[in-house]
Amino acid sequence: MRVEYINPFVESSVNVLKEVLGLQVRRENVSLKSKALPVLDIAVIVGLVGQVEGRVIFDLDRKTALNIASKMNDETLTEFDDLAKATITELGNMITGRAVTKLSELGYKFDVTPPAIFTGNNMEISDVNIEALIVPIETELGRVEVNVALREKA
Amino acid sequence: MGDEIPLGDKGDGTFYKVLIIDDSVFMIKQISQILQSQKFEVIGTAADGQEGIDKYKELHPKVDLVTLDITMPNVDGITCLEKIIEFDKNAKIVMMSALGKEDLVKKALLTGAKSYIVKPLDRDKILSRLKSVLSNTN
Ligand SMILES: [Mg+2]
Repeated sequence: MRVEYINPFVESSVNVLKEVLGLQVRRENVSLKSKALPVLDIAVIVGLVGQVEGRVIFDLDRKTALNIASKMNDETLTEFDDLAKATITELGNMITGRAVTKLSELGYKFDVTPPAIFTGNNMEISDVNIEALIVPIETELGRVEVNVALREKA
Repeated sequence: MGDEIPLGDKGDGTFYKVLIIDDSVFMIKQISQILQSQKFEVIGTAADGQEGIDKYKELHPKVDLVTLDITMPNVDGITCLEKIIEFDKNAKIVMMSALGKEDLVKKALLTGAKSYIVKPLDRDKILSRLKSVLSNTN
């Protein structure tokens, strides 16, 4: 994966989380994996299409998802209901949107598809067979892993 | 401060009526709460572009203001914008999208959107933009 793709995703993940949570967030070391990671309880997937293709997965456990959704809604959500799902899904959309905006300023033209959310531990995501960049983000509400896999279209 | 006229007040004893088009119930809730705090009346919501076009036509001419997302299933927000403007060139539409790409912003504004707000949204962002939209178009 080209190095130019990486920074916009790292920056947008940190900055959007900071803005919507109003809390300090910290990025841990970025790593590259050749295989898609095993997924936690909740995964939001945003597809990328155009000059590059691939997807971004936001991976978090149920407790973290509920904490983040509660904070973003300014109310305590006690179950992972439709509102909580929609909140986490939109968070993934906002982070991806900002990264794609930055990448378009750098000359990479592509678009996002509407995000989808998967929950439960028996989920299976058929994935593109490309190298994935993992950006772990620690927040006071728990950890979010941003998993980016992109490749230029052949 | 407390005596200030709410932004949603049209000044004739009625309030601006809004249609919110967004595929996220989270966004619909957030936008509604911010607008309702300023006395805007949310008279309809839609979860994709096609539903948005249908609702606009159904509610016409009651809708004073539309907030329109872009990344949505079925029919996206740009197509929805084109169709609403085609139906009513005076529609007041404010885009609210996670994408801030220059070409997209330009396209939306050229097509007839009155403003373009990039998510994440907050109260000040929404209200200050709506304030200028409402004062420019009345
Ligand atoms: Mg959307």
